[in-house]
Amino acid sequence: MEITLDVNGQTYSVVPEGRRLLAVLRDDLELLGTKLACGEGACGACAVLVDGRPVNACLLLAEAAEGHEIVTIEGLSTGRASAVQEAFVAEDALQCGFCTPGQIVSATALLERVPQPTREQIHEAMAGNLCRCGAYPKIERAILRAAGGG
Amino acid sequence: MTARFVKTQKEMEGRYEDVWALVDESDDTESWAPDAELALVGRPAPRQDGAARVAGRVRFTVDVTLAGMLHAAVLRSPAAHGRVRSLDLEAALATPGVRGVIGPESELSLTTRSPLLATEPAYAGEAIAVVAADTLEAARAGVAALALDLEVLPHLVDMQEGLNEQRFTKDPTDDARGDAEAALAAAEVTVELSLDTPAQLQTPLEPHAAVATWDGDLLTAWVSTQGMFTARDDLAMAFGLRTSDVRVLTQYVGGGFGGKQGCGFEALAAAELSRVTGRPVRLVNDRHGEQLDGGRRAATRQSVRLGAKRDGTITAIDADAVVAMGQGGWIFPVLIPARTLYRCADVRALTFPVKTNLRPQNAFRAPGVMEGTAAFEQAIDELALALDMDPLELRRTNHADVDQVSGSPYSSKQLLACYDLAAELAGWATRDELREPQPDGLLRGMGCASQIWWGGGGPPSHATVRLDAEGNATVITGIQDIGTGTLTSAQIVAAEELGLPLSHVRVVGGDTAPNVYGPVAGGSQTTPSVMPAVRSAAAKVRKTLLQLAGDVFEIAVDDLEIRDGRIRSSDGAIDAEVTEVTEKLGDATIDGSGSRGPNPDGFVVHTFGCQIAQVAVDAALGEVKVERIVAVHDVGRIVNPLAASSQVEGGVLQGMAFALTEELIVDPTTGVPVNAHLDDYKIPTIADVPEIIIDYPHVPDANLPTTGTKGLGEPPIIPTAAAIANAFAHATGRRAAALPLTRDRVLETLA
Repeated sequence: MEITLDVNGQTYSVVPEGRRLLAVLRDDLELLGTKLACGEGACGACAVLVDGRPVNACLLLAEAAEGHEIVTIEGLSTGRASAVQEAFVAEDALQCGFCTPGQIVSATALLERVPQPTREQIHEAMAGNLCRCGAYPKIERAILRAAGGG
Repeated sequence: MTARFVKTQKEMEGRYEDVWALVDESDDTESWAPDAELALVGRPAPRQDGAARVAGRVRFTVDVTLAGMLHAAVLRSPAAHGRVRSLDLEAALATPGVRGVIGPESELSLTTRSPLLATEPAYAGEAIAVVAADTLEAARAGVAALALDLEVLPHLVDMQEGLNEQRFTKDPTDDARGDAEAALAAAEVTVELSLDTPAQLQTPLEPHAAVATWDGDLLTAWVSTQGMFTARDDLAMAFGLRTSDVRVLTQYVGGGFGGKQGCGFEALAAAELSRVTGRPVRLVNDRHGEQLDGGRRAATRQSVRLGAKRDGTITAIDADAVVAMGQGGWIFPVLIPARTLYRCADVRALTFPVKTNLRPQNAFRAPGVMEGTAAFEQAIDELALALDMDPLELRRTNHADVDQVSGSPYSSKQLLACYDLAAELAGWATRDELREPQPDGLLRGMGCASQIWWGGGGPPSHATVRLDAEGNATVITGIQDIGTGTLTSAQIVAAEELGLPLSHVRVVGGDTAPNVYGPVAGGSQTTPSVMPAVRSAAAKVRKTLLQLAGDVFEIAVDDLEIRDGRIRSSDGAIDAEVTEVTEKLGDATIDGSGSRGPNPDGFVVHTFGCQIAQVAVDAALGEVKVERIVAVHDVGRIVNPLAASSQVEGGVLQGMAFALTEELIVDPTTGVPVNAHLDDYKIPTIADVPEIIIDYPHVPDANLPTTGTKGLGEPPIIPTAAAIANAFAHATGRRAAALPLTRDRVLETLA
């Protein structure tokens, strides 16, 4: 059954066949910035914005995303780099970079909701985005910097 | 170039081999003076590819998508040991979308015909068959159609049982000097400590992965590996090809931490299925497969006995380690800290590599040495307690001035400076005040640990620099940047030597096709191996550029220098953009190639360091919170302090997790790991991060060729767990018999 997805402001017709949103984004739409790392909702590497909230695309059935506004890392990277992206580069808030798209998505959602987050608010909002390289101290600094406080 | 072969020693994670190094005797690049005023080296620089990474534009192996590409899924053993009774390959092949299947009877079908898959799997997760299909879903359906029937055989996963039964992967080793037994008997003070350390999984977020495709007898493979040249050689050997007929691409790697060496099973299987089907094939481990079969730091059971004089002089070290190897693998040097960290003439170190029904152990950041330090440095603290001596003072007292195994001097050693710096930054002098009753009711303490590792690098390592008419330089390297930022370090070194701004230098790596060799990204050897080669290559280009500038400006070359993209004469008469010379090149380029010279004979090269941890223990809940880690490491000259601090933070956090949360748990009844997933194997989150304070002695290694740099990948993970355990003991007066310090273990220890 064909459904219609609104991704990064574009409309796509896809046949989900029971697949998760992540598989449709990566395999059908070739939006490869969103990563599959665990497939079990534990790491946040596949975070996308669904109506502005960060969601693990590996857990969401593509059909359930119909009628919602989906934004991926590509949708956040169309023009100039955002303040969050610039801060991630300046603070070296990444190492291997595999988790970085998910981190940017979650950080963007946080700053949209809480423009001046405290450290505790950052920890709570970002605890679902694992970084095995351990870039966390700099991710925290980058978010504070993007919020104008770093 | 005046080429000569020189016999030298090559070191990788403590294993030395004699190799012939190709040396350019005409290369007169001199080392930077320790106090040289460098324009770029030593100043923080963001990654050259940062903008692409934060935009999600970089392509990892798992993202490589080729026309007509098939997707592979792996059938893995559900049992710790078994024998395949039946497997329905035809049913799998008949599954819609399935294009190829290889099973336990399959061999690599070109010349070598070596087995690839197991008929008698010896650990849970061992690959039995691989299915390639149009989609991943179809491949998984094919795996299900295989309808595996496995006869389950007896297993052994308990290392004590393996020791009792004397089941070893190799003969136990006895590394002794002097007479430790007699020295222990004669010692004025003795202590003993036993510790079990956990199996720790590398858990790269990008799992092991490969994409392979053939063009006739030419094989191209994208491999998520730390060693693309090893991967190339592995594939060439497996398929009977010339190395020049294999191209490996490894531009972006989503973490490795030691676990991704060579081409791996994934590239072999993908290449074989690609050959069989005539289509490109992508094989990506799913998370469960990765946690079962991606690798691990082996669990150990260690004991240490120390003897000392009343004044603190260590007189005897007797250590043993039982290592749960799994089915094999390198035996990493668990007892190197016992053998080399402090001055002692009478030492015995016994290592028992027990064979168990787990995957062969493989490297995980400071393999062996980290888990050995966790036990040995706790024993040193126990000795300090028995002597009523300050733990740092005990370490200073027993400082080793020369290598304790060979008797050779160190190329450089700033460990005493590390102790002083760390003590000052941590407030070590007043650490006992932490043990006074705290307003929040928590028990606080502070502990330290020392670090020793190799990290000197060496040949072979090559680089080529190419300067074009627009004054932009491209540095071609054999680096695969697994997240450490070494491409950016090479950019800094090349720009420094060329006198160009960073923005005019771009470094490429991640491709074996140019055949500019770089070492495996492991053993803390990339920076010390590659940077001198980059410098030499850039120096040749600079010399040529100055010669041409001399022609253009009609001035003696000796009177010219290049800084920040401008050519200047010493009398100030000439001050011109580099492009005033390079624009005359037209379509020509100025090329220079450089190689890494050997390390000098007669020295051993080591990195050193000290970390100090402060912890708070909730005795009612059994929770240990690390509040602060001070990390000071002697790694010679720092090329990029920004990337260096990232390395240290990452190592500290992985070491902290080894002390507090990470442990592969294996069900003794079935022999099957029960937490081989990301939701129950606990790696740190951002909320777990302590304050991390980082510093260095900043003393370049004057005996290493031309850049004075040592490696920093391994050092920061090594002392963290021991420092935390020592801080826990300082806070509570107790020591746990095993790591990690989970709540149940802490409550048991404090009961």
